[in-house]
Amino acid sequence: MFSGEKNLKSFFWAWAIITAVGVFLSVFLTHRYMPQMMSNDGNLATETTILFSILAAPVAAGVYASALHVMRTYRYRGEGVPPAATPIRENTKTLVTWLTASAVLTVFVLVWGLGALAAENSSSGNPLIVNVTGQQWVWTFSYPGSHVTSDELYLPENREVEFRITSVDVTHGFWVANFGVQVDANPGVITTIHTKPNRLGAFVVRCEQFCGLNHAFMESVGHVVSPKQFSNWLTSQPQRA
Amino acid sequence: MVTTLEHTATSAEPKGGGLARHQNFATAIIAGGILAWVFWFVARRLFFADSDNVSDEVAVMTATGWMIGFWIGIGAFNGPFRWLVGRDHTREDDLYYAGHNLGRARYWKYTTDHKVVGVQYIITTMGLLAVGGILAMAIRTELIVPGNHFVNQQVYNGFIAIHGMVMILALIVAVSGPWGNFVMPIMIGARDMAFPRLNALSLWTLVSAAVLLVTVLAVGGLPVGWVVMGTIADQAGVGMDFFAMAIVVFTVSTTVASINLITTVITMRTKGMTLDRLPIFVWGTLVTAVLALYAFPFFFVAELNQILDRTVSTSFYVAAGGGTSWLQANLFWLMGHPEVYVILIPAIAALFEISSVMARKPVFSYRTAVGSMVALSGLSALVWAHHMFTSGWAPALGGPFMVTTELISIPTGIFFLVLVGTLWRGNVWMKLPTVWMFGFIFNFIIGGVTGIYLSDVPLDEQLHGTMFVTAHFHYIFVGSVLFGAISALAFWFPKVTGRYLNEWLGRISFWLVFIGVQITFGAMFLSGLKGMPRRVASYDLAFEHTNFISTMGAYIIMAGMLVLLGAIIHSWRKGEPSGPNPWQANSLEWQVPTPVPLENFETEPVVTEDPYNYGEELVNS
Amino acid sequence: MNRSKGLGVALATVLIGGGALALAGFALATASPHQAALQCVKSTTQAHACSFTISTFPDSEEGVHGKNGGPHPDWVTYSNDNIDVPAHTTVYVTIDQYDSGGAANNPYFDNVVGTRGGFDTVNGKQTTKVGADDIGHTFTLHGIPGNGKYLFISVPLPVNNATKTPLKIGDGEYAKPVVVKFSFTTGGATVYNWNCEFPCGGSREGNGFGEAMSSYGYMSGTITVE
Repeated sequence: MFSGEKNLKSFFWAWAIITAVGVFLSVFLTHRYMPQMMSNDGNLATETTILFSILAAPVAAGVYASALHVMRTYRYRGEGVPPAATPIRENTKTLVTWLTASAVLTVFVLVWGLGALAAENSSSGNPLIVNVTGQQWVWTFSYPGSHVTSDELYLPENREVEFRITSVDVTHGFWVANFGVQVDANPGVITTIHTKPNRLGAFVVRCEQFCGLNHAFMESVGHVVSPKQFSNWLTSQPQRA
Repeated sequence: MVTTLEHTATSAEPKGGGLARHQNFATAIIAGGILAWVFWFVARRLFFADSDNVSDEVAVMTATGWMIGFWIGIGAFNGPFRWLVGRDHTREDDLYYAGHNLGRARYWKYTTDHKVVGVQYIITTMGLLAVGGILAMAIRTELIVPGNHFVNQQVYNGFIAIHGMVMILALIVAVSGPWGNFVMPIMIGARDMAFPRLNALSLWTLVSAAVLLVTVLAVGGLPVGWVVMGTIADQAGVGMDFFAMAIVVFTVSTTVASINLITTVITMRTKGMTLDRLPIFVWGTLVTAVLALYAFPFFFVAELNQILDRTVSTSFYVAAGGGTSWLQANLFWLMGHPEVYVILIPAIAALFEISSVMARKPVFSYRTAVGSMVALSGLSALVWAHHMFTSGWAPALGGPFMVTTELISIPTGIFFLVLVGTLWRGNVWMKLPTVWMFGFIFNFIIGGVTGIYLSDVPLDEQLHGTMFVTAHFHYIFVGSVLFGAISALAFWFPKVTGRYLNEWLGRISFWLVFIGVQITFGAMFLSGLKGMPRRVASYDLAFEHTNFISTMGAYIIMAGMLVLLGAIIHSWRKGEPSGPNPWQANSLEWQVPTPVPLENFETEPVVTEDPYNYGEELVNS
Repeated sequence: MNRSKGLGVALATVLIGGGALALAGFALATASPHQAALQCVKSTTQAHACSFTISTFPDSEEGVHGKNGGPHPDWVTYSNDNIDVPAHTTVYVTIDQYDSGGAANNPYFDNVVGTRGGFDTVNGKQTTKVGADDIGHTFTLHGIPGNGKYLFISVPLPVNNATKTPLKIGDGEYAKPVVVKFSFTTGGATVYNWNCEFPCGGSREGNGFGEAMSSYGYMSGTITVE
């Protein structure tokens, strides 16, 4: 399809420049806007976003450069109805190339995703269990094996956590943007997810499933602390449930 | 101009019609209102509604009264009733129903002519877009700064679901409604649709449902999100009942319309119109209609269960009675994902048609393009659970549904190849339809690529409930489908009105909407990446800047759409006359006179090749 | 197509007009009678301190929602929704509880959480917890983390079992209130949301968070720090 093509050089330049801009934007914007990740799943979310953006950039740039090339090279500049162009009904080579390329990309993305999914589902054993209860419009967290129930979520660093999530009324969505984990809190059902906090600091637990009047205000604070601070915090809490 | 109908010459006065002579949109509204009131009155006596709150039973009865009254008032029952009593329509009655010699009045009536129905679909779509657009502006205005300033969270929550549902309805009919009805029958050389009365029925049931859906705003809104999650719907008031009734009727409308479109394409093609000579837009409407026929019954069942749960204490979605809201979620998404392609495929098919005409070249890889549309609609039936990756339902299905979902990118990629391949080495005529088409190509890449992020289960667990998703599907619905629909409008506008859609107003509108979309939804991606959940009436200070930018962009889109509305109104009245075939296209709809006479063709056309052979003799001339 | 001249204008006007009317109807339907924000009254004896008093009623007859309880006279309600308090101030709150009650759907809300000193007083008696079946309502306040000082305050309002000495307030009659007092300290300017966590609204499946609990101006509101 490219043989004897006019303006071919500018087509490739446009493709290269748009790709470069795309890659720059995807790395820059991801770093600038994705939250500071505080768990292994969070880091994976950031890496995947950057990887997919870098993969997508040349593909999108290919389509954009083609569109620009068409606008520049094949735009009819005369008056009135343009004359008929040479018909190209099929081009097996182009079609096969395109199909192969998109199939390869799709398979790559699939392998990456399925691999990550399998890794995510494997558990290291002896996790800290936290029962998460959603209700209109607050979260509460309790720690089985201790007396503690709290409206703030405290987690020790570098230990796997198993969240057991449920709701006492409607469906809510438990989500910590810094952890890259998200699952609905369903009434009458306990849903389990794992993650491993690996960075000290504060984070926000948000509800991501529409849950009525004050859904927007259903947020709680959380802290990843050192194991020692964590056990101190547990013992300092009053009995509340 | 002469038509095959002998009556044309003999009399300008319409005869026949019977009761239909006194029926139109106004009598439908009045009859609907009266019967709604009667049903409401009776229902209150029956169900002893408590003093301060209208009960669900009463609401469902009222909505039923509205529907039946509206259909009686518009004349939907005239034909069946006369057939039952043995006084079936005469030829003169049929002519009256076809709007023969009725002038402008036929656009307000139960008219069977497919071209009138097409125009009625344009107007319905514009009305729905106006309501949904006003709501979008209200939503963005509320989100301009954190906190509740413009409306409180109850009002806001009531807005979001209606904005979503009204816009979805508008886009479902935006391309296949007007052009599937107006040009598709002419394209295949038919004199009308296979079932003209069903055609009128599908349009007016849609209108009755759309009016009811908008009425939800007046009874407290629908504070449940547009997916009407079972558990939260329990707390919604009578707006939920009105909504469910509107959806039940809407699905009847789409089913009737789909059966009609499928039958028309299968049986009404003219001589020589073999399946591989079908204009590709006809393929698009056919595939869409089959998909709609599969998808919308799920929605019917989903909302009927909802109504039964609320009125007669069944427990389809009530955990205490053995039900589960996951049933609702599954039924909803079994409809909800195919529905995306019911919206997308007609727009893409129209753009294939337009790209060929504007590049003066055949559609590139016609058969592959048709195959991709079929493959896409087939796959779309197998991906619904990707909307439930984070619901906690069947985590083991994450992998399989990730596979089917990502396979979708292969047929979608073909669409780009076909579009760009058709334009490649053409003589591209940069008119208004072409301009909007390039906008589509730009936005559809962004909407499509971000879909891959969301199909990756581990990444979806970061992005699922966030504004990233909202931005993604707005790039598809606004950036792609709406752009395609406007391109199609600009393309076929001369066939409907005999005038061009104003080129300069259209281009001003294009640039405003195009830039507005990038600003609004571009910034919305960033809000989502940063961690802003969807459907919130307020947000953290951290999301302040991106939300402000989104709102500014939304106002620009609004300005662009108003310019487009102005362009449509101006051009419809005094636009530049276009003649019957302004684009010098080969397909049959451009070979008939404008305005298109009743029954379209003087003599049945014979087709000898597909409509893409530019540079050779026109078909049928 | 001259016949359709003006059709577009006419229809667009009708449809947009219809949409605007529906919106206006919606606004009217959902607008509770506007309540001016309650101002926290500055203390004359203590620097950087103020106080306000609000009440909880078993119905809406007391007048906040209009004559005879407005559109939903049998809904439970707080006497106020939006409250203004100054920044960096100790706020003394008094809540007069007139309503009956039962058990909350999460025992966490039997506890007094986040107040100054971690306690409140009920009819003058200091306490940190209410019996599990004795919750009338709760006053639960929380902010969006990141928007100013983060607070989480939850105060259970014990059930009111008094039957004697009915008091007339507005169009309603109520038993002598249970008086709950507590205090908290504000930071810089921000907005907090508060609501009740006792399932006291109607709903089909009986989780008690519909109707009054899901409607603006009944069992929830804001505290604006300025």
